[in-house]
Amino acid sequence: MTQTETVCLRPASTQDVADIVMDAAAAGQTLAVTGNGTRSGFGNPVKADRTLALGGLDQIAFYDPEDLVIRTGVGLTLDELEHMLAAKGQYLPFEPPRYTGLYGTDAQRSTVGGAVATALSGPRRILSGAVRDFVLGVEGVNGQGDVFKAGGRTMKNVTGYDLSKLVTGACGTLAVLTSVTLKVLPAPRAELTLVLPARTLEDDRALFEKIRALPLGVGGLARRVGADGRCEVIIRVEGTAPGVAGNHQVLEALLPTPPRVLEQEESQALWREIRELSCLTPKADELVWRVNLPATAMPAFVDEARRAGCINRFFVDWAGGVVFSTMRGVQPEVDVLRYRKMAEKIGARSMILRAPDAIRSQFGAFPPVAAGVAALEQRTRTAFDPAGIFNPGRMTVQA
Amino acid sequence: MQMPEPSQAIMNQREALAVALRQIVGQEWVISDEAERRPYQCDGITAYMAMPLLVVLPGSAAEVQQILRFCHERGVKVVPRGSGTSLSGGALPLEDGILLVTSRLCNVLEVDAPNRVARVQPGVPNIKISEAVQHLGLCYMPDPSSQLISTIGGNVAENAGGVHCLKYGVTANHILGLEAVLMTGEIIRLGGAYLGAAEGEMDLMGVLTGSEGLLAMVTEIAVRLEPVPEVARVISMSFPSVEEACACVGAIVGAGIIPAGLEFMDRKVLDAVSVLIRETFDSNTAALLLCELDGTAVEVDALVDVVSDVARNQGAIETKVSTTEEERQRIWSSRKLAFSAIGKLCPDYYCTDGTIPRNKLPEVLNKMADMSVKYGLDYANCFHAGDGNLHPIIMYDAAKPGDLEKAEAFGADVLIACVDAGGVLSGEHGVGVEKRDLMTHQFTDIDLNQQQMVKCAFDPAELLNPGKVFPTACRCAEFGRMHVRNGAIRFPDIPRF
Repeated sequence: MTQTETVCLRPASTQDVADIVMDAAAAGQTLAVTGNGTRSGFGNPVKADRTLALGGLDQIAFYDPEDLVIRTGVGLTLDELEHMLAAKGQYLPFEPPRYTGLYGTDAQRSTVGGAVATALSGPRRILSGAVRDFVLGVEGVNGQGDVFKAGGRTMKNVTGYDLSKLVTGACGTLAVLTSVTLKVLPAPRAELTLVLPARTLEDDRALFEKIRALPLGVGGLARRVGADGRCEVIIRVEGTAPGVAGNHQVLEALLPTPPRVLEQEESQALWREIRELSCLTPKADELVWRVNLPATAMPAFVDEARRAGCINRFFVDWAGGVVFSTMRGVQPEVDVLRYRKMAEKIGARSMILRAPDAIRSQFGAFPPVAAGVAALEQRTRTAFDPAGIFNPGRMTVQA
Repeated sequence: MQMPEPSQAIMNQREALAVALRQIVGQEWVISDEAERRPYQCDGITAYMAMPLLVVLPGSAAEVQQILRFCHERGVKVVPRGSGTSLSGGALPLEDGILLVTSRLCNVLEVDAPNRVARVQPGVPNIKISEAVQHLGLCYMPDPSSQLISTIGGNVAENAGGVHCLKYGVTANHILGLEAVLMTGEIIRLGGAYLGAAEGEMDLMGVLTGSEGLLAMVTEIAVRLEPVPEVARVISMSFPSVEEACACVGAIVGAGIIPAGLEFMDRKVLDAVSVLIRETFDSNTAALLLCELDGTAVEVDALVDVVSDVARNQGAIETKVSTTEEERQRIWSSRKLAFSAIGKLCPDYYCTDGTIPRNKLPEVLNKMADMSVKYGLDYANCFHAGDGNLHPIIMYDAAKPGDLEKAEAFGADVLIACVDAGGVLSGEHGVGVEKRDLMTHQFTDIDLNQQQMVKCAFDPAELLNPGKVFPTACRCAEFGRMHVRNGAIRFPDIPRF
């Protein structure tokens, strides 16, 4: 990143942002749009004339717990937000990961704007949905310096195009978001995690499938290398205390071996580790990948990629629907393409979560899309940011 | 309702266009005869009618592609239509445009139970998906009340909701992948047939969902399947006042409970349905709440106790809890029959779907009472209380001169009150033509312009479903060349439809 050498602008209001963008547009300057910069390593590296850091936009416009809604400036940290929600017994169901362990940045400074811009969802995605499913509305500034709003604050809203979804996950390439309105939910009263020894990948995937076929509200199904070096399967149940106890019994009857049971804080701590990919412990020169795929294709995919040397360490989340892995940094130019090809062959989506700037610039961190879709994405970017001043290259590879 | 001026030149080519389109879809799948086109003149809003130029029923995505490419070349407008149940005029035909109907694209293509996804064509009725996976213990969650008839393609176009979306979300939350054809005939595929298939992709799928047929023609949908909840129980709670019923809605959610459904019916609705279900309601009841709780038996029993306590604390006169599936169905029948029951009280009724923050319910409901006096029209209330999605039922008589206009004005006043209370014009029916001219009340010119720029990225020729959603045309060509500072209208000279 070249951000340290560039001028960093720190707006304190939406109007400041609009002024900065208008000035930049008039001067033909590009802007690297960021919150507190804890996830700058996510996506492709950006080269821009100036940095626009939105961490100062951290005011809460309102929080209405009875209506399950909060509107806040994008600079509010996720820690602060989650703390405030927890005080009212509520939470962000999409369980946003920080991934700051991958980038060597400060987890406490990760912002809600970053969560929306990157659209990264945690382990509970299989039950509760993704970031996009909880963004009710946004306010932002387009590439011409116009302040616009989209969506609203109600649970249901089909008035006009859903631009809130469009900007979620666009990594700040469409507009500079200034505030977001999120749907929140009551946090489950009780939670419990079952841990048991892993078997083959296919055995464990089949177990996940069996569990997910039952309406038990299981909000976490992962498989990882445990602290003792052995592989383990991890199952999270949430709900009311009697509901969790009942589901615990049903699950135990399905399991091949009696599980270890973790309750409340212990369970929460374990899922924080899983959310943050802690068990991958990537070495400094290793690449980190995320591959989304049909769960049924996961065992064969992992086996093949390991044999080919494209996966070093790995773990599986989302009931087998996502594989996080490390790749040795010995010959990344060759391995990146091989691994991508393997993923493409089965319709999987491969994303580089961490790699040296040169690798991400050359190959692109995001999964490649078909030419027609790429062209439509580009036209959509132009519809928001005609001169292409926001985060140039963040999501696309420059030819 | 003002629509874009039809092109006489295009209308004069009707026969020639029919010949060319028949070469694509086959002789019988282009409806040209006037009597046969007549049933397609309107959708769920019968007050708005127009005779479509031609009705075309493609049998495959490839045919859709050829039709759109052909229409694009000839500058012919296209209006997509599923079963025509739209309550906002989204499928209202254009006299100089073809109606592209998905009735023949009606197959469930694949059920992938292990990955919990089904691939379906747009013309499949919503209910057919759940029926196709019932034997696996799975279902497709979103259940708009039109689900027996309305198609999944229409559900995607309108981002349909339903009784259970408070807990389970709306259509957009259950779509994993889309195949769609742009107006140019280009086929695009977004996401895919598994959870997470759209990760790392710009969320074009998100903006296509709910775009009311203005951006692309959807030809295939991958939907998420869920296990059918083990048990569902419903609690019926009667209250002596509307205010207490509204307060109870907030108190249930405040107690940390997200019911599967939470419905409100006022006294007028109860009186109307009591005739049909042969049941009487306590004379002190001013409003009734139906609260459905689902999950495992143990979980549901625990929640039933909490909700019953909350209701008593909020002043409920009586609470009834279903103990069998039959009882549950019987309690729900009052809600399900509500609209037809009102239909028996008056020759016509008009219902909108403005949505407000829950705590504004009493305020907006009181305003409605004043409006009823102002317009001299009776009304009743039956709505999705859990998500603040109002459904005022305004009663009128179309045979009485001026009554329809009064009903429309009453409806518009309610929608404006919703926006003023921090809500939105439409929670689930869409904008269509019905609320098109009210969009400027909810959005600034800049907001609307930003949305219309997205239209330009998908369909710069503005041939797909024009005249819907936005009160003005887009003028895609001008974008980026003109710039008026904040606050000023960007294109003050654009004529309104």
